[in-house]
Amino acid sequence: MFQYEKKLQYPVKIKTPNPALAKIIVSQLGGPHGEMGASTRYLNQRYSMRDGVVKGALTDIGVEELSHMEMVSAVLYQLTRNLTPKQIRDSGFDAYFVDHTTGIYPQAASGTPFSAETLSVSGDPIADLNEDLAAEQKARLTYDNILRLTDDPDVRDVIKFLREREIVHYQRFGECLNRVQGQLNQKNIYAFNPNFD
Amino acid sequence: MNQKQVLLNRIRVCDFVLTEAALYLDTHPDDAQALEFYHKHLAMRQQAMEEYSKQYGTLVRTQPHSTDHWDWVDNPWPWEKGE
Repeated sequence: MFQYEKKLQYPVKIKTPNPALAKIIVSQLGGPHGEMGASTRYLNQRYSMRDGVVKGALTDIGVEELSHMEMVSAVLYQLTRNLTPKQIRDSGFDAYFVDHTTGIYPQAASGTPFSAETLSVSGDPIADLNEDLAAEQKARLTYDNILRLTDDPDVRDVIKFLREREIVHYQRFGECLNRVQGQLNQKNIYAFNPNFD
Repeated sequence: MNQKQVLLNRIRVCDFVLTEAALYLDTHPDDAQALEFYHKHLAMRQQAMEEYSKQYGTLVRTQPHSTDHWDWVDNPWPWEKGE
């Protein structure tokens, strides 16, 4: 079961609203490399794992990604407080605003709603762990791109924290993959599904 | 920072240390040094959580908290800047 802790993993305190920036950062909530996909991917992949270490890592990283989803949502919430109609029009936030006002809706920066097609659950530990390694790199590069697009120190501080976490997750998933590969039967040189065949 | 923020910050620092140590322990479950490090910070976190909830309301619904008022619903919530 899950239990809520009434605090963020890392504080979010943004002084200056910036709807144009929110339009970009929303991708890390509901975009192809976003936190909603990450948390769902890891928490759902757990069931096809046999090794306790891999189940533990997927659980803990999946839960941490839920906390990141909350942090990204807090960034979006604070970037879109107290806007005037003129600010909404001038920033290009109007296309989002017309459907969602300033509610937090999971979509990519392009406007495409969150899709479960952005995550993978293959039932094969080796395929899934390779997917997870790629997913962490893709999340990291999206945060890098966000950092290229904003000077706001309040936003950058949060994004840099999130970026660092993807790097740590990548490291841990690499260890998981090595472990699972090390457990394969010597004859299984093509690393086909060690749980099913 | 006021006392409330100092305490919350202490909890958050402990949490970060615990999250990071837990991920390491997930793939290194028999590392004695990491285990000791984890448990030391777990005790620090528990102490800070108790102090915080006594004075400022609870962060976790199932921890002991006020019996006069359901302080769980008190604003601000974490995504609001006032936490």
